[in-house]
Amino acid sequence: MTPHTATGYSASFFMRNVYDPLVRVTGSPPEPVPALAESWSVSEDGMTYRFAINPSARFHSGSPVTPEDVIYSFKRALELAKGNSWMIRGIVTPEGISAPDAQTVEFSLAKPFAAFLQVLPWIFIVEKSAVEANLGEDMGQSWLLANTAGSGPFQVARSQVGTLYHLARAEEAWQAGGGNLDGVIWQIVRETATQRLMLQRGEAHVAVDLTSEDMESLEGAPGVVRVIEPEYRTFSIKMNTEHGPLQDINLRKAISHAVNYEAIRDSAGFAELMTGPLPTGILGHDPALDVPRMDLDKAREYMAKTDRPEGGFSLRMVHVSGLEQQRRWSLIMLDSLKQLGIDLEIQPLKWPDMVAACASPETFPDFFPVYQTANYGDPDNIAFAAYHSSRNGGWQNAVYNNPEVDALIEAGRAEIDPAKRAGIYGEFQRKVIEDAPDIFGVLELRKIGLRDSVENYEFTPVASNAVEAWPLSIG
Amino acid sequence: MLYFIVRRCVMLIPVLIGLTVVMFAIARLLPGDPVGLAAGPNATPEEIEALAREFGLDKPVWVQYANYAAGLLQGDLGTSLLTRRPVAADIAAYLPATLELVIAAMLFAVLIGIPLGLVTAVWRNRWPDYVSQVLAIGAISLPRFFLGLLLQLCFAMWLMWLPLGGRLPVIVIPPPSVTGFLTIDSLIAGDLETFGTALRHLAMPAIAMSLSPLATIMRMMRASTIEVMGQDYVMTARALGLPRNKIILKYVARNAVSATLTVIGLYFGWLLGGTVLVETVFDWPGLGLYATKAIISQDMMPVIGVALVIGLLFVAANLIIDLLYGVINPKVRYS
Repeated sequence: MTPHTATGYSASFFMRNVYDPLVRVTGSPPEPVPALAESWSVSEDGMTYRFAINPSARFHSGSPVTPEDVIYSFKRALELAKGNSWMIRGIVTPEGISAPDAQTVEFSLAKPFAAFLQVLPWIFIVEKSAVEANLGEDMGQSWLLANTAGSGPFQVARSQVGTLYHLARAEEAWQAGGGNLDGVIWQIVRETATQRLMLQRGEAHVAVDLTSEDMESLEGAPGVVRVIEPEYRTFSIKMNTEHGPLQDINLRKAISHAVNYEAIRDSAGFAELMTGPLPTGILGHDPALDVPRMDLDKAREYMAKTDRPEGGFSLRMVHVSGLEQQRRWSLIMLDSLKQLGIDLEIQPLKWPDMVAACASPETFPDFFPVYQTANYGDPDNIAFAAYHSSRNGGWQNAVYNNPEVDALIEAGRAEIDPAKRAGIYGEFQRKVIEDAPDIFGVLELRKIGLRDSVENYEFTPVASNAVEAWPLSIG
Repeated sequence: MLYFIVRRCVMLIPVLIGLTVVMFAIARLLPGDPVGLAAGPNATPEEIEALAREFGLDKPVWVQYANYAAGLLQGDLGTSLLTRRPVAADIAAYLPATLELVIAAMLFAVLIGIPLGLVTAVWRNRWPDYVSQVLAIGAISLPRFFLGLLLQLCFAMWLMWLPLGGRLPVIVIPPPSVTGFLTIDSLIAGDLETFGTALRHLAMPAIAMSLSPLATIMRMMRASTIEVMGQDYVMTARALGLPRNKIILKYVARNAVSATLTVIGLYFGWLLGGTVLVETVFDWPGLGLYATKAIISQDMMPVIGVALVIGLLFVAANLIIDLLYGVINPKVRYS
């Protein structure tokens, strides 16, 4: 688990608790709150951010956290170009970070970026002198696998790779407040039924990865609290807008209106239908969008405008083999398309094969189901990853490209004023819906189980499965 | 006999080379984009390229193979693309858990299956025979993971006798690692309490894994006992008026076991390769879980590493069984 290179939720849990970022986020919608930075100010043009480092902040080694360490960490992240560094690439430059005095870090951004505070929780600060002393041949990556150089509320007591991490409260944890935990154990349990049973037996205090079935059987279970909350994770079925029959926008619209959305939601368990490309509750999300719903008359109307209004052809949908949910969604699509006289060939694939299929429009299937999780609490995340043409070739947006949409996404990330941003993202959502590149599916609710003895738990829709242990208490 | 062992070990070399070649060929033939996957969804094409270069995956496959083979000779099993950790270290961390589980399951199957087979053969076509036959068929046909879930429900949820999963409760610090087997290590450390806890954790997954081999061993033992009991020398012994128990234990059991040994050897390999589902259900941190994760992401180095280790163990187990034939039946000659 090395900061600046690792991703995934086990790694996120580890880093959120052993390392500190400049700011954290909390609540829903996620609000930036102080971490290493006790306060900050933003220049009017949104180009300069100044962070005052908390003078009491200490690394586990006992040395104070200095602007030097912050600058070093950002530069290291940029240079390694792995993990979460994509969040700041092109925005933070090595020359743009400076330390005006011994307690302040200043960022002069290369271009305005409204989500800057929202991405900061994912750039962790390491102790420069500790990493520098152990650089090796890979900028300290191997050393950081077995050692830590953080300032977080916890340090590693025991780690068994892929099995469990036992963190103990750092001896002189500098963070004021927080909960009463002396330590926290993160155990990786693959089978969700086992997670549920452990929670029921009191062997675990928190289970982060439960299914709808687990939630149903936990209803009324003594000592268990269920948390079922919307998070920024969309499920949609992407269509091949660049190659094959679905290049025809009328066919895409016909299909969008033929889909049985209720069936998609029902088979998802605890979920709500998407009302456009962005998740509900995120800045700029417009609940009044005119997103397609099942309407066979409309579907046939659009179908009439295509080359083959009677259908009689076949389309191909892939899904991740073994994912029951996706298989069911494929069957619903099969059923929906039948009404337009279109046949659907369903092909289960392994995930690496699906990723490879995204490389070109020619290899991309007609339908491609995909979950998309926001890594930070800003519409820019999903908008950019899922609809910007620079992502073409990757699985988050393999083929869709529209220069107008690109322009809106770029305007949205550069605009500072939240009201103006909301306007831009509203426009963005309408444009995307008009293009109908996706079947907008569901927002699955995050399903977490807690023992009732856990206090101060607060749900936040970003990285909700990598719990921040510092504020928690056991009553 | 030494010659026999050496020859068997030498024969192993082409097998292992073949295994690596086949695995490399599969890795090459499989579609999919493991590098793109490992680089993450937000990686730029340049980052993906850099990662491929870092792992030598931009080179032709025969160069990759040569590099791998060279590393293998020094005990280097390569580096996982996904975790960036050395495969050898990962296998060393996960293997003991799997071995402990497989050996416990095998012990259980042998210690129960052989006597049971003997008993049912002697009591042939009477009620103990029928009962165990029905149970054996049931045990073979139940999928192991399902059996695991049933056991969990019964012993962990309703009766609360046994823990749900894992090797030790998370709050227990494991004893210093000597063999990697928690039961043995806790005994070495003189910590009886941890030994008991480790044993209780081991019980359910081991039983879930052992029922199928147990049933097969029992049926095999029953069949070969019946066969041996019909042999002339047994008849002779009977005619000489030797006590029945002595005949069975001394002459019949001994000869009947040799046939069963083959099954035990084969099952050992089968269990090693098939721990995945049981390990998932019981959250047993072993090789099976490690391998599945690697297979899903087409992370080939761990997959090849695990295949090599399981192959080695399989061959070793069969070698031991072959040697045991000689111990049990001195008439067996190694040539």
